Amino acid sequence: MKPKDFDQFWAGIESDLNSVVPEPELKALSIRSKPQFTLYGLQLSSVKGYRIFAYYSVPRGEGPFPVIYHLPNYGSVVHIPPFEERCKYICVALCHRGQRLSDEPFAAAYPGLLTLGIEAAESYIYRDIAGDCLSVMDFLKSREEVDGQRICLLGGELALWTAARRSEAAALHYTPALHYNSLKRASQASNYPLEEFNDHLRGSASAQMSVEKTLSYFEPVHHAPHVQIPTMLVEDSVGFCDALVEAFTGPVDRVPLQHSSYRDGVRQANWIADKLDNGRPILPAHWC
Amino acid sequence: MPKPNLSAHPTEVVKPHDFDQFWQEIMEEVDSIPLNASIELNPLRSSEEVEVFDVKYDSLDGLRIAGWYCLPRERTKTLPARVFYPGYISEPTLPKSHAAQGYATFGAAPRGKLRSNGAFNPGYPGLLTHNINDRDHYGYKGFYIDAVRVIDFLLEQPEVDSDRIGIQGSSQGGALTLVVSALRQQVRAASAGAPYLAGVVDAFKLTRTYPYEEINDYLGIHPEHRSAIVDTWNYYDCFNFAERIQCPIIVYIGLQDDVCPPETAYPLMERIGTSNKKLYEYEGHGHDANHHEHDHVVDAFFDNQLKQAGS
Repeated sequence: MKPKDFDQFWAGIESDLNSVVPEPELKALSIRSKPQFTLYGLQLSSVKGYRIFAYYSVPRGEGPFPVIYHLPNYGSVVHIPPFEERCKYICVALCHRGQRLSDEPFAAAYPGLLTLGIEAAESYIYRDIAGDCLSVMDFLKSREEVDGQRICLLGGELALWTAARRSEAAALHYTPALHYNSLKRASQASNYPLEEFNDHLRGSASAQMSVEKTLSYFEPVHHAPHVQIPTMLVEDSVGFCDALVEAFTGPVDRVPLQHSSYRDGVRQANWIADKLDNGRPILPAHWC
Repeated sequence: MPKPNLSAHPTEVVKPHDFDQFWQEIMEEVDSIPLNASIELNPLRSSEEVEVFDVKYDSLDGLRIAGWYCLPRERTKTLPARVFYPGYISEPTLPKSHAAQGYATFGAAPRGKLRSNGAFNPGYPGLLTHNINDRDHYGYKGFYIDAVRVIDFLLEQPEVDSDRIGIQGSSQGGALTLVVSALRQQVRAASAGAPYLAGVVDAFKLTRTYPYEEINDYLGIHPEHRSAIVDTWNYYDCFNFAERIQCPIIVYIGLQDDVCPPETAYPLMERIGTSNKKLYEYEGHGHDANHHEHDHVVDAFFDNQLKQAGS
């Protein structure tokens, strides 16, 4: 159930962000740069003044350029965006607080991060992580080399939350991940990371209600109505997203996950290219 | 059947004349280091079916290495064991669900991985080129050995049947599977997916995808180090460990893998020592190597090799 103070909770994150001076710093990473692009390490301040890191790659030549904003998956390491993407687009890959390169002073534990502070929405680590995601979006809007009308968000719930709060994004490529229907899926699973929820509840059976309440602030079904941009929704299995797809207010392309990094990757690249420049993507040689 | 242009790709990997001596000296040093293993129950991660333990042990360079060790609560006789090695950027597996199926399981966290990165932390990117000009101090030297020490740990555990140890992983986990099964003959079965670190000096020319792209990055600013890199890699390449592998092994690849080029899998298979080997090639798959469907093949393989062997 959607909490009554849902909007107030998310406004609180915005308020926290507004109280911080981001002070972005860009440092060229010459070893990772190529004739086709320059890769920068970006640092900026996010919620509670935490300094976060992101890879920021800019094609050589005249901008402004369309952008692919990679929101991170669950794990300590964030990869530099693919070579082929970086030849054509500005690519941003955020390392949220706790992930490597954003792990001072807080280094996330895996398993562990998924339930950190989950006793209450205000203390749940994903509240501040959501702020990290928004802060990079705000950075993008401040840049001359960025075409602000052509920003594609790519990822799981972190991308969805960002799309819901930043309507200026042009497209969302969303694969539901750990915060979609979490407890029900965890109850049917025994593998990590979802098993983290089971571990937490096993150790404290009375926590069920508070965990459910916390997760309700992050539940995709409650964020989808705020997403009005074209969305590709990648569904794990038939019927997996029945409840979710109806909640979107913008156009949704609903497609099945093919469990192939090649087939899913080609489809993703084509869709993003269509949304950002009506063009064709540059693909890795083994995908051509 | 493999695409002709994939299976016929030439390799520039050379086996150094002193390859065996190089690793023999390392293994002699390793064997002189007591494990000093600590095993601590982790109540939070344990369940009604499985006990989870935080393990630490000593390895090369005085480093303390971590791992997850899982045991089924119901155990009346010695258990077969399965080891899970991690990918390059993956978190170490906490293999609880396989323990529930009757295995002693171990999720390895070699140096640089979380919980094993206090004294060695080159990062990602970083590990692949850490001291890459120096075969004696290359980052993967200790990393390989940390993986080998998992077998030594299991051999010390009374609940583990030392004749029924299997190892597995994909990508870097596949590479570690190949190296460990070559260096520890006690391994009885192995499964390697999308193997990384095989044909390295070929691979970084075939792809622009990380982690191999780290080498291209490095050569971009140090082109004069190319021959040194090739020299180092000839001591670490899975191709040169492969002939020592004598246990049954399965390998699976995606034919559209842009991370670990499938071209490198064919010379690898040719070199693997045992005749009990099988390559699964998946058209239409990339670095996932079709693990979504292939995992049941892996489980059946280990059940056949390890569980039935003890029945």
